[in-house]
Amino acid sequence: MSKTSCYIVDNGAYTAKLGISTMEPKVVPNCIMKAKSERRRPFIGSQIDECRDASGLFYILPFQKGFLINWDTQKTVWDYMFSKECCPVNFNETPLIITEPLFNFASIQEAMTEIFFEEYDCQTLLRINATDLADYHYRKMHNNNCTVVVDSGYSYTYIVPYINGKKYREGILRIDVGGKVLTNHLKEVISYRQLNVMDETYVINQVKEDSCFVSQDFMADMEIAQKRGSANTIMKDYVLPDYTTLRRGYLRDIVKKEEDLDQQTLRMNNERFSIPELLFRPSDIGIPQMGIPEGIMHSINSCPEEHMENLLQNIVLYGGNTLFPGFRDRTYNDVRSLALDHYDVNVSLPDNPITYAWEGGKHILTDPDFYSFCMTKEEYEEEGKAVAFEKFDI
Amino acid sequence: MTTRESGRVKEAEKRRVLDDAARKRRARKAIEALERDNFHEDPHADLVMSKKVPKFADSNEKPTRKKKSKSSDYYKMRFRKTFAQLVEEDAGFRPDPPNYMSVQAPPSNFPDRHFCAVCGFPSKYTCIPCGARYCSVKCLGTHLDTRCLKWTA
Repeated sequence: MSKTSCYIVDNGAYTAKLGISTMEPKVVPNCIMKAKSERRRPFIGSQIDECRDASGLFYILPFQKGFLINWDTQKTVWDYMFSKECCPVNFNETPLIITEPLFNFASIQEAMTEIFFEEYDCQTLLRINATDLADYHYRKMHNNNCTVVVDSGYSYTYIVPYINGKKYREGILRIDVGGKVLTNHLKEVISYRQLNVMDETYVINQVKEDSCFVSQDFMADMEIAQKRGSANTIMKDYVLPDYTTLRRGYLRDIVKKEEDLDQQTLRMNNERFSIPELLFRPSDIGIPQMGIPEGIMHSINSCPEEHMENLLQNIVLYGGNTLFPGFRDRTYNDVRSLALDHYDVNVSLPDNPITYAWEGGKHILTDPDFYSFCMTKEEYEEEGKAVAFEKFDI
Repeated sequence: MTTRESGRVKEAEKRRVLDDAARKRRARKAIEALERDNFHEDPHADLVMSKKVPKFADSNEKPTRKKKSKSSDYYKMRFRKTFAQLVEEDAGFRPDPPNYMSVQAPPSNFPDRHFCAVCGFPSKYTCIPCGARYCSVKCLGTHLDTRCLKWTA
């Protein structure tokens, strides 16, 4: 019954990464959005690309605090994803790999099993943590035994140590800062200092993606940002989209008043690096938690000592936040300064950190034991949902 | 005979000062606000769908299909549980750590840094009534005019 392809869904809280393993994955917003400009229809997933005016978008997300809560929304988005319009699939013939958050709650796990076997008629199902797929991917590439996986996503940042392919649960750490907090904080800061953008999550998220970076020396950058004139190399203007001539904003150098063009802009100064800084120091906005480098060290220190060296050499970052310029270098420098001198430290960032876990699904399909990880519809019908808890290590 | 006293002290006593609990409550509210998906109302909320208007999307689907696909509302009802309920349930399902609650990152060992609540640059001073940070007289003025004791995020 071995198959050469399967359908992989990395079901993230903000975007789902999905597709047949033999093709390139699609990145689809895992939400329904409503626009002010178009009263007739809600936009499901990638349909938002058809929306002419994306100002004041209203989000309906299936995930809350990183867990699948709104099933009606999720069902609608999944129906769209598995349809001809997006990325069609016949689960009768194709095995499915779908990701779930770490420590997913029992009743959500039950619901996942039920919906895929009964509603979508799945024949073979593998439910797995995205970090497992990332670890598998990394080990395939590097032939190592121990990995520290850092998944910095929309709701949370998870740090998970893996020893010989198994997650070491005592070492898992969750930092309650993700892309959502960053966007909301940026929105808050801009709304207070310049222009009320509290309704513009979609646009401000783009502002964040286009203009923020991770500072390598935070206090030094703060000093640069306080300078006037051309000595301040950080200050830029962000041209906001107007949805007639400009669909997506962009960052540009400061222009003098007289040559000011007729565009609405946001002045970006210390916001450019103090927003991503929250991933490294959540305490800056009063979240009493460790940042990523300190968290990595804390996690590694709670693992058995004989693996410490190996873990430090194999730290892999993925998830949307890792796309901030300078993210890897800062993580490396900070971990380097916290780790003992005689250990080597290696931090890697894959070429495409968004689809890294999805690609891991491709590798796990080629594992000779792949089918022993999966659950079949027959098993489900004979033994019920309880088997899923034994089968899947979520 | 009234005792002599400083006008400055008298003035300061009149001012309302938030206690520690109120400050913490404000800080917690501000962090909770960062979890929200939307800050405005559903733009389609006031749309009234007329019953007479044919629903085109539905009419395309043939009512007699081999296997009836359950509507999304069915799953809403079937798996309806709030986040708080799920966390509570988890205490029964995974009573011993590691579980969802226990893996939360502990407080940092580094000292907190403070930033001006107005301009975001490093700050040295604390607003007496509300405990917010500020960096200069100019920013203090802005702060007093806008958020001090008024701001409830």
